[in-house]
Amino acid sequence: MRLTALLSMAAKAAFPRDYRYGTNRPWTIAAQRLNPPGKTRRKVFVEPIANEDWHVLKGDTVEILSGKDKGKQGKVAQVFRRRSWVILEGLNTHYRYIGRSGDYRGTYIASEAPLLLKDVTLVDPTDRKPTDIEWRYTEEGERVRVSVRTGRIIPKPVFQRRDGIIPQQWKDGTKDTSPEDTLQKTYTTSLKTLEEEVMEKMNIWEDKSPRNSYWY
Amino acid sequence: MSAAVTSRLTAAVCRQFQRVVTVSSYAQPQSATQAFSKLHLCQRSQTYDSWWFRSSVNNRALHTSCVRRGLEEFFDLPENWGEQTVKSGAPWTAKQLRVKSNEDLHKLWYVLLKEKNMLLTLEQEAKRQRLPMPSPERLKKVERSMKRLDTVVTEREDALRLLQTGQERGRPGEWRRNVFGKTFWYRFKEHPIPWYLNSRYKRRRFFEPSHVAPYTRLSLEKYLRSKIRKEKREKRSQERLATIFPKKTALA
Repeated sequence: MRLTALLSMAAKAAFPRDYRYGTNRPWTIAAQRLNPPGKTRRKVFVEPIANEDWHVLKGDTVEILSGKDKGKQGKVAQVFRRRSWVILEGLNTHYRYIGRSGDYRGTYIASEAPLLLKDVTLVDPTDRKPTDIEWRYTEEGERVRVSVRTGRIIPKPVFQRRDGIIPQQWKDGTKDTSPEDTLQKTYTTSLKTLEEEVMEKMNIWEDKSPRNSYWY
Repeated sequence: MSAAVTSRLTAAVCRQFQRVVTVSSYAQPQSATQAFSKLHLCQRSQTYDSWWFRSSVNNRALHTSCVRRGLEEFFDLPENWGEQTVKSGAPWTAKQLRVKSNEDLHKLWYVLLKEKNMLLTLEQEAKRQRLPMPSPERLKKVERSMKRLDTVVTEREDALRLLQTGQERGRPGEWRRNVFGKTFWYRFKEHPIPWYLNSRYKRRRFFEPSHVAPYTRLSLEKYLRSKIRKEKREKRSQERLATIFPKKTALA
């Protein structure tokens, strides 16, 4: 048991308490280059926002309030809750070379910089103007985002899975169980353990009585 | 490989007993190793574990064919061979598994196990060929499904045990104090003999010696101090954050 615990501890990626998380995932080479093991950086203070109060979701349209691209609207590509960051598609960009090797200076691409949550606001889909957002409950009891200015509900953006599968258009393969078979209820409550039930079904008779053992 | 090892061992044993008992015309170990080195897939010589079963009269190598059933289950369906990505559905959730009967869960466990074996074979072969494994997320899905199945079965067992006996844990145990004065949950082990006959168990000390007693109090004080320090640190960081990010009272 101790060996498996040790192995699981080794497999889990461990970072120091004052690790500064950036836009790169911590296990990538770029992140290792920016934050090598011995490096300590000044601590960044992040405004504490509870998980349920977070109102910007991936795929939302937001407007930038301050910075280079002030006043522009864009779609949220990535959200970093740990640092209250939001990355928009194609906005707030700086340019850099990527994939350089030897003499070749690499491709010149535009890379987006993250924006703090307080520098963006959600946009009301009806009149396309920036608003403040509050979490309120509908008559059915559903928790929704409501714009303070107009009072309209802002719907959640359509969640796209990372593997590109759309659940409504899924066709089962040979090894997949169909939805009807998956949801079919076959469980009946009984006072038998799994082993006893299975032995009964398979006609296995156990006549031997277990040896006397001592537990201490 | 194991048969080759045993045949080498038997050869060593034979050499020991050569002076005592004559084992005549003994060519079995040699032929066994040669048979394996030739790597005939479904032909092997019947080798026995111990040398005394081999008679001096009937010592011709016996060849039988291997059982050929079921090895195809270690491999994927033939239409998926050579593909870069293989489509796979979502893993089983605990909610879906809870409506299934025990018999269904028992069958599903073995289906998942065989699928896992197939994927592990595929992973190992991909490593050997130094190629990427097609769709490695299938392995994660299968492992998660098996873990959830195990959770559902333990839930059912726990419920039955609580109902019938009132025991919270499946495995008996008790709180004990070790030699260092630390109290811990000692989980019982199954033994064939009672504790007063188990010399190794009697050597284990589940009490703290008298010279360790003062350190128990000191370690308790240390633990309490660290707990208070942690709480104070939390409170201090919250106050610092409140000064940096003051709460907005009137909305701008």
